[in-house]
Amino acid sequence: MLTRDAALKICDTVLAHARSAGAEDAMVSLQNGIESHARFADNSITTSGRAEDLDITITVWVGGRRGAITGNDPSPDALKRISEEAVQIARVSPVHREYVPTLGPLEYPVARGFAAATADVDLAARAAALQAALTACRTAKVTGAGFHTARATATAAATANGNRRYFQTSQADMSVTARSADGTGSGYYAGDHFDLARLDAKQIAEQAVGKAVRSREPKAIEPGVYPVILEPQAVSDLMGFLNNALDARTADEGRSAFSGKDGKTRIGEPMFHPKINLYSDPMHAEMPAMPSTNEGIPATRLSLVKGGVLENFTYSRYWAQQKKVPPTPGPVNYIMESADAPVSIDEMIKATPRGLLISRFWYVRLVDPRTIVLTGLTRDGLWWIDKGRISHPVRNLRFNQSVLAMLAPWNVEAIGAPQRLSPFMVPALKLGSFTFTSISDAI
Amino acid sequence: MVTRRDFLATSGVVVAGIWVPDWAEAFQTAGPGSAAARAEAAEAALARATALGASYADIRISRYRRESIATRERQVQNVSRSTSYGLGLRVLVDGAWGFAATNTVEPGAARAAAEQAVAIARANAALATRKVVLANADRVVTTWTSAFKRDPFEVPLDTKIGFLMKLNETAMGVAGVSFVSSQVLFVDEQKFFASTEGSRITQRLVRTYPQFSTTAADRSSGDFQTRAVVDRAKLLGYEYVEEYPWLQDAEKAGHEVVEKLKSRPVASGRYDIVVDPSQLFLAIHESVGHSTELDRALGWEANMAGTSFVKPGDAGKLKFGSKIVNLVGDRTQPGGLATTGYDDEGVKSERWHIVRDGLFVDWQTTRELAPLVGQQTSHGCLHSDSWSSVPFPRMPNVSLEPAATEVPLDQLFSEIKRGLFIEGRGVSSIDQQRYNFQFGGAVIREIRDGKLGAMVKDAAYQSRTPDFWASCDGIGGPATYRLWGTSADGKGEPGQTNAVSHGCPPARFRNITVLNTAAL
Repeated sequence: MLTRDAALKICDTVLAHARSAGAEDAMVSLQNGIESHARFADNSITTSGRAEDLDITITVWVGGRRGAITGNDPSPDALKRISEEAVQIARVSPVHREYVPTLGPLEYPVARGFAAATADVDLAARAAALQAALTACRTAKVTGAGFHTARATATAAATANGNRRYFQTSQADMSVTARSADGTGSGYYAGDHFDLARLDAKQIAEQAVGKAVRSREPKAIEPGVYPVILEPQAVSDLMGFLNNALDARTADEGRSAFSGKDGKTRIGEPMFHPKINLYSDPMHAEMPAMPSTNEGIPATRLSLVKGGVLENFTYSRYWAQQKKVPPTPGPVNYIMESADAPVSIDEMIKATPRGLLISRFWYVRLVDPRTIVLTGLTRDGLWWIDKGRISHPVRNLRFNQSVLAMLAPWNVEAIGAPQRLSPFMVPALKLGSFTFTSISDAI
Repeated sequence: MVTRRDFLATSGVVVAGIWVPDWAEAFQTAGPGSAAARAEAAEAALARATALGASYADIRISRYRRESIATRERQVQNVSRSTSYGLGLRVLVDGAWGFAATNTVEPGAARAAAEQAVAIARANAALATRKVVLANADRVVTTWTSAFKRDPFEVPLDTKIGFLMKLNETAMGVAGVSFVSSQVLFVDEQKFFASTEGSRITQRLVRTYPQFSTTAADRSSGDFQTRAVVDRAKLLGYEYVEEYPWLQDAEKAGHEVVEKLKSRPVASGRYDIVVDPSQLFLAIHESVGHSTELDRALGWEANMAGTSFVKPGDAGKLKFGSKIVNLVGDRTQPGGLATTGYDDEGVKSERWHIVRDGLFVDWQTTRELAPLVGQQTSHGCLHSDSWSSVPFPRMPNVSLEPAATEVPLDQLFSEIKRGLFIEGRGVSSIDQQRYNFQFGGAVIREIRDGKLGAMVKDAAYQSRTPDFWASCDGIGGPATYRLWGTSADGKGEPGQTNAVSHGCPPARFRNITVLNTAAL
């Protein structure tokens, strides 16, 4: 992986070429990644590989006109070529009406989410981890499929106005799907961490196996409105849609769930349960993130929802300038947690007279951006809860549900401890109602 | 009949070196990007893999050029170009795969990649319970270029920007349209494939992706609606921008989104529906395209996309739809996004039936998959979305054949008392075995007593794949057949995208559940 000096040297070389070619303002960003992965299915290894790449993007402005080029060749000739081509594009482009001068010098903290061992996977150690997962599946006589991946990335950027930054980050993920031999049960479990050493392949596989065994021979229930407990994985499957709606410009333009009537937005409204907090924090101990936004704003803790109140939108540099507010120092991750002590899933089950326990959702799509209505299906573990106990597995169901209604003050009954499911860290949720519209035959 | 010897003799190949067509030379005539450098790197990698014990190896050295222009209303948001060049090598050692990729295309890096790939395969071989066996394939030495008239990378930028600004202006000219965004993406994929079996194939594919979206917002009520036209990409050059009546579409989309904002919500219930090719292509993609991928049926995608309701022994036995339903896999279809000369393991493209007269008859296969269902050759479905991605089974163009005789759209409406006509992309979601789906539409109109009526909003249809295709009792004729496509079909881990088209006429389906999604 490129060191700080090597990465910024490439950036500086490109900037110098761009200036020589006539750029009045410029920004170079660079990403160098090494990714190693292995897949298995049907209790046997399938594909495995390693890939190394480098992306260099130069964006220039000439007379307020913008051009951008991305390449992956760091040779001196290529760096000169992309700089000059970016300037050529800018010269023939119309004026970029949303131009904001590139950033000057800024201080950034050192990224916390990097472990060197994640960059260089030990093949024997990975094989042993996969063997542990496969053994867990074979021993339980279930069919296992899974994915193990580790990635390390060097990210650098430099601007004509003197901003320079460099970060190293890493990310390791493992997930396992176990399917029972009779084809009637399926379980999934995933874990991730920036440090590969913190992934426990055996534990992940055992969780998936347990769900597969417990979900065999599900019974159908009628589609309808039910109380539910969403495990953290299920919450994370829905979270992205809420976060996407937090863009200030879309809300200001009247085409977001957070747009209000008469040209206003819903900022400051108590839209969610009063115990819900949602924020971004690059220095979070369990889930640190790169301490810079994609635009180069140093990331700090950013509260989005506090005590159920919609507190902040996210502003790009351009939109912030238009609205005369500072650009938001994030988000770089999304952490949802309760203002109170977390409630365990076992306690939630005990407090449920009747309802469903949901492991995860699949193929979730935005049906209606006005209320963030989503559709999708339950998958890999769905159980009926009767009188405070898990009673039996249930056939999968399709839902159509508004996220705003789901998290509304009157619908959230308990909030669990947040679990890392990158880029989210989300809790289990106990909800008063959730709407299902049809049964799925899928296992 | 042309023999393989004749084929090789006429395909412009110099066996001692790799023949370089003009278009490849236009980009790089010397240095690390030249055809000679590619050949040298490829030979070095294959030789090193073989020396280290690989029973088979293949390499893809590819260059992807992309140009993207994005606009909104009366301004250009972004103009960018990118190039990505590198090599990816796949090796088979002790019956297990290994893969390594690098952005450095030269013999030393290629040999290092071979060493990494062999080490990966060897480390994992003990975890394999099934040794990979490949179906036979011809040794092919050739070049192939997709059909296009005008190279989009040679069209001046201001011409392209002018097209998008005119499109936006046309849509914004419709009273009530609040926002328009439009983009055009051009992709130039140049691939060199070499294998230890002696195949050497150079290909170039040019794709053009225009798309736009109109939005109408009522600021007093806070209501808004969008009409997107996003699935028209084709394996064509810039002539597609010049020859297709885009401005008519933009004006129509403007009127449609304004009407949609004012339309009344659909009443939930059962309807007979006629699905236009602009929506049906997506239903085919999700319910047929993915369910008939053999790797899914074998459980290889169980951890991500899922498995399939179609089981490995179902070919020739499973009733998939009504007798009028015929579906083909086709990587030769003109303009199809998944059309190619040869797949990413050098198998020549072909067309074959997946569903014939309502019966499921065959799978999508690769050289690794074909022997697992007793077949001698692959249907040519191996694909990687980059030199850095492991090639794996991907969907060909899967298309619904039209009726044998002309059946106009009106005739499909004429036998409906209460129904809906569904056009364009709405939300699509389907379960992990491809049974239960929900699809929306961009524009949905009522059908009353055989006639098309007013627009409705907030409608989505739900069904179960075998029930849906069994309910098909009307299919348009050849004149109603259209090719639509999706540019970013996701599959695999790490995730890869695939561009794929689906041709179809409009078709009628009886007694389908329709939801009002705003009333839930």
